[in-house]
Amino acid sequence: MILLKFCWILIVVNALTIGGGFVMLPMLQKEFVEKYHWLTNKEFMDAIAIGQVTPGPLTVMNAFMGYKIYGLLGAIMAMISSYLPCIIIVTLVAKYYYTYKKSVIVISSFNGIKPAVIGLLAAVAISLGNTSLVDPITFGIAIISFAVIAFTKIDPTFVIIGAGVMGALFL
Amino acid sequence: MLTFFERELVEKRKWLTHDEYIESVAIGQMTPGPPIVNTGICIGYKLKKIKGALTTVAGQAFTGTVLAILLAAFYLKAKDNVLLISIMKGVGAAVVGLLLSVVYKMARKTIKDYKTALFALAAFFALAVFKLNPIGLILASGILGLVVYGRRTK
Repeated sequence: MILLKFCWILIVVNALTIGGGFVMLPMLQKEFVEKYHWLTNKEFMDAIAIGQVTPGPLTVMNAFMGYKIYGLLGAIMAMISSYLPCIIIVTLVAKYYYTYKKSVIVISSFNGIKPAVIGLLAAVAISLGNTSLVDPITFGIAIISFAVIAFTKIDPTFVIIGAGVMGALFL
Repeated sequence: MLTFFERELVEKRKWLTHDEYIESVAIGQMTPGPPIVNTGICIGYKLKKIKGALTTVAGQAFTGTVLAILLAAFYLKAKDNVLLISIMKGVGAAVVGLLLSVVYKMARKTIKDYKTALFALAAFFALAVFKLNPIGLILASGILGLVVYGRRTK
């Protein structure tokens, strides 16, 4: 039953990931961490890091969480459930592109969702910050990471690896 | 990644025209799900229909998934390792910075007037203070978007 529930949540979340891959995070955190306690905030954060440093989209983190929750089968089912809604929606949209593109319903609802998810993501950042920013060094790493990713073209993967090295040396 | 797609598929192999490619990127960005995944699915679908879409997904997901599984297995085994705990402390701090920079970049692109700012602020407080469910909040902001922008975009 846990596996079915887990897959269903991923299907719903991926169908609502509007405005970029990170948009799934607020939903996943609420369901997996706060509601069902399948992961701790810390493990959720580690999953994000894994999703970022592995090749391919952030979605890969779902395989990591699936493994943690339900082993190998969990990881495989996580990927299938994450991609299923994308495949269905994209193939339909590719067929009816011009109708979809001009659809008032799509355009105006997305206009509401796109700014809203920014607020949601900011709330998640703060919630995770409460867990992981515990001393001046972790604060420093967070601020430097933010500045480097926001204002330079350096790939976030290197920032995360660099932060891991800093952690190994100083924390 | 997207410029790489374009060079390989449009310029080198000529599997897609430039316009088809641009359309695929647009579809990737305006459909639910991670944009890069969706662009890939769309290109796959244009080339080989549903078989193409499935193959692209398999190709895109395979390496990352295998790596994630290996890392997860290792992570669960080494959970109490002192060095891993230190490393993940640093990584966790960086993830917060990463998310903040994503918020910053998305905000610069999307928050253009008081209405969009209001949507973002309302969603923030609804989650951070009132702990409402994000799935419900996204659905609600879609409906609100329909009410606020529905008439004007016609």
